[in-house]
Amino acid sequence: MSSIATGAPPLDDLRPVRRLARRRLGRRALPFILLTPSLLLLAAFTYLPVVRVIWDSLHEQIHGSRESLFVGLKNYIGLFSDAAFLQSVVNNLLYAATTVPISMALGLLFALALQHSSRFNSVMRALLLFPSMVPLVAAASLFFFIFLPGVGLFDYYLAKIGLRGANWLGNPDIALWSLVGITVWKNAGYYMLFYLAGLQTMPGEVLEAATIDGANGWQRLRHIIVPLLAPTTAFVLVIALINALTQVDHVIVLTKGGPSNATKLVLYYIFEQAAENFAAGKAAAASVLSVGFLLALSVVSLKTMERGSHAAS
Amino acid sequence: MRWLPSLATAALAVLAPALAGAQTKIDFFFPVPVDGKLAREMTRLVKVYNDSQKDVSVTAVYTGSYDDTKLKAQAAASAGKPPAVVLMSANFVLDLKLSGDLISLEPMLKTDGTTRGQFLADFWPALHANATVDGELYAVPYQNSTPLLYYNKDHFKEAGLDPEKPPQTWAELVADAKKLTKGNGDSVERYGFGMPEGYDYMGWLMEALTMSNGGQYFNDEYGGEVYYDTPTMLGAAQFVEDLVFKHKVMQQGVVEAGGVSTNFLAGKTSMVLLSTGSLSFVRDNMKAAYGVAFVPRNVRNAVPIGGGSLVMFKGLNDEQKQAGWKFIKWLTSAETLAGWSRFTGYFAPRKSSYDLPEMKDFIAKNPDAKVALEQLPYAKPWFATYQTVAVRKALEDEMQAVLNGKKKAPQAIKDAQRNADALMKPYVDQTALKLP
Repeated sequence: MSSIATGAPPLDDLRPVRRLARRRLGRRALPFILLTPSLLLLAAFTYLPVVRVIWDSLHEQIHGSRESLFVGLKNYIGLFSDAAFLQSVVNNLLYAATTVPISMALGLLFALALQHSSRFNSVMRALLLFPSMVPLVAAASLFFFIFLPGVGLFDYYLAKIGLRGANWLGNPDIALWSLVGITVWKNAGYYMLFYLAGLQTMPGEVLEAATIDGANGWQRLRHIIVPLLAPTTAFVLVIALINALTQVDHVIVLTKGGPSNATKLVLYYIFEQAAENFAAGKAAAASVLSVGFLLALSVVSLKTMERGSHAAS
Repeated sequence: MRWLPSLATAALAVLAPALAGAQTKIDFFFPVPVDGKLAREMTRLVKVYNDSQKDVSVTAVYTGSYDDTKLKAQAAASAGKPPAVVLMSANFVLDLKLSGDLISLEPMLKTDGTTRGQFLADFWPALHANATVDGELYAVPYQNSTPLLYYNKDHFKEAGLDPEKPPQTWAELVADAKKLTKGNGDSVERYGFGMPEGYDYMGWLMEALTMSNGGQYFNDEYGGEVYYDTPTMLGAAQFVEDLVFKHKVMQQGVVEAGGVSTNFLAGKTSMVLLSTGSLSFVRDNMKAAYGVAFVPRNVRNAVPIGGGSLVMFKGLNDEQKQAGWKFIKWLTSAETLAGWSRFTGYFAPRKSSYDLPEMKDFIAKNPDAKVALEQLPYAKPWFATYQTVAVRKALEDEMQAVLNGKKKAPQAIKDAQRNADALMKPYVDQTALKLP
C-alpha cells in the first residue's frame, strides 16, 4: 500500500499491482457469488420455464398421439384465426380500459379525501383497504351470492328503491361489467394506499406558495398535486395493468368465461387450451404473447417512471 | 434416562409391522365435487382398507374438483410418479385414453380369470359405455348420478295442482309451470321452472332433454360424432327457448347450479332439474315439502348418467398395478359401494348393492332415493368424445346465446354442430376418414 500511496511504484516490483488486480477480480466476482442462490432459483423457476414455454409454442402435440412436431409459427397463426382467442383479447382490453382508470381515479380520490390523519380518517382508510385484503377467490365467492338473480343482496336492495335487477352474471351484455365492478371494489383501496404514501412525500411549501398566489383547490390539484404524483401514478398504472392481465380467480369462480365467451379473459383462454382442450402448443403461444406484452409494458413503464421521477425532483 | 429403552421398545413396536414384509405403497387421487364431509369419509374408508390387510398401503390424496384431479394426475404422471388409482370424471376417460394416460384393465381381468362381460354384468347397463374404450375396460364405475325433477309440493297445493302428481311429459311441465309462475308482466316473483345453465351442467341437461325427445346426443361407440344438428336436438333446444320466451316460465339468461338450488330452497322457483347428487343437500336444507320425479319426456323416458369412475395411470410397475387393482376391487365391492351411496346420495353402480338389507332399509325410509333408483333402468351413457370439454362447450355457448335471446334455436344447433365438427376433425381424419 505504501508504494501506491507514494504514487510511484518501483517498476521491478509488480506484487502490489497483482495483489490489487486480484482484489479487483475478487470484488467483481463477489456480487455474482452473492447472487448465485437467487440466480439458480430464478433459472429453475423462471428462466427455464420461459424457455420451455417458447419451445412448446413452436411445437404441436396432436391429441391422441404421443408425438410432438415442430410446427414453427403455426400455433401463433392459429391463435389469430381462433374467434375465442380474439374475443378474449377484446374482453381483456375492455376489462383493462375500464378497471384500470376507474380504480386508479377512485384510489386518488380516496387518498385526497383521507390524507390528513384523524381517527375518523384512519377508520375510513381501514374500511376502504379491507376489500384488497380479502383473497380474490373469497371475494368472488361472496359476490356469487350478491349477484344471484332475484334473490341476491344486490337485487334485494335495488328492489327497496324500486329498481329491478338483472341477471348480473348470466347475461353476456352485463357479465363482464359485473366482473369489472368486483375488480374496482377490490383494487381501489389498494391503489389508495400508494397515493396516500405519495401525498405524504409532497413538499408542503409548494402547496402553501400556490395557496398564497391565489390558486384554488381545483388548480392546486390540476397543476401541482397531480403532476407531483406522476411517479406514483406511473407505478400504480403498471401494477393495475399487470393485475388486469394476471388475475383470473373471479372468472373461474363466477362465470368460467361464459355466458357464450362474454367474460373469457386471455389467461382463462390459456388455462382452457392447456387444461381442457389438450392444446399445449396453443396455450404456450398465447402465454408467450401475454408474457411478452407484460415484459414490454414493464420496460416502457420503468423507463417513463425513471424519467418521471427525475422531472419531479 | 431410564425411560429411554422403554421408549425405544415402544417405537419399535409401532414401526415393526410397517417394516416387516414387502408392503406396496400406492397413491389414490380423489376429488370431492360436492362438500367437505365426503373427503373425510373417503379418508376414513382408505384407513379401514389399510387396517384390513398388510400387502397394500394406500395414501389417499384429496385433489380438489374433477378438473383439478385430472390436471394433478397428469402432472404427477409426467413427473414420473403416476397415481396408481384415480377417481376420474367418467366422461374424461375416453380423452385420457386417447392421450395415452391410462392403462387397460383387461390384463387384470385375465389374471382374475374373468371376462369384461362377467365383470360388468353386475353394473347398471348405462354405465358400461363410459367404462370401456374401443372394446377394452379402462374404468370401474364408483359414484354415479342422473338428473332428476325436484318440485315444491307447497307451491303445487297453492296453485291448485295435485302435489302427488308431478308432470310426466313436456306438455304437463309447461302447463304446470305456467300455473306455478307468479307475477305480472315483466316482473316475475316466482318462476315455475328452472335448470342450471352454466358450463358442464348445461351440456348434461341438454343431453337429458334431447334423449327424452328420442335423441342420442353422441355416438357412444365412436368418439368423433355428435348429433347436435338433428330434429331431436332441435326440439330440445326450441323447448328451452320457448320456456323462456314463449311460455315465460323460466328466467332469461344463464343461471348457475348454485343459483338454481338457492332459488328452489328459497321458494323462488317451483320446479328444477338437478342431479340426484343434490338429494342429500336438498333433504337437509329444504324447509317446504318437496318431491322428486323422473325428468319429463316428450318421446320417451331417458336420462344420461354422470359421476366418477376409478382409473389407473400409465407408468406403474407390476406390484403397483396389482396393488391398485386390489384396492379398486375393494372400493367397488357391493358393500363399500352401498355405504358410500347412502353417505353421499350418489347411486351405487352395482345392482347387487341394492339387495343388501341396510340398503333396502334406506330406500324404504327415503322415498326420494327410491325415485332416483327407479329412473335408473332408463339411464343412458354420458357424452364422451374426442375433446369432450370443448365439444360440449360448442353446444353450451350456443344454448347460452339462445337463453339470452341472442340466437334462435335452429341457428344455434347448426352453429354448434359446425364448431363441434371442426374440433373433432383431427380425430375423424385419423380414424373414420383414414381410408386405404
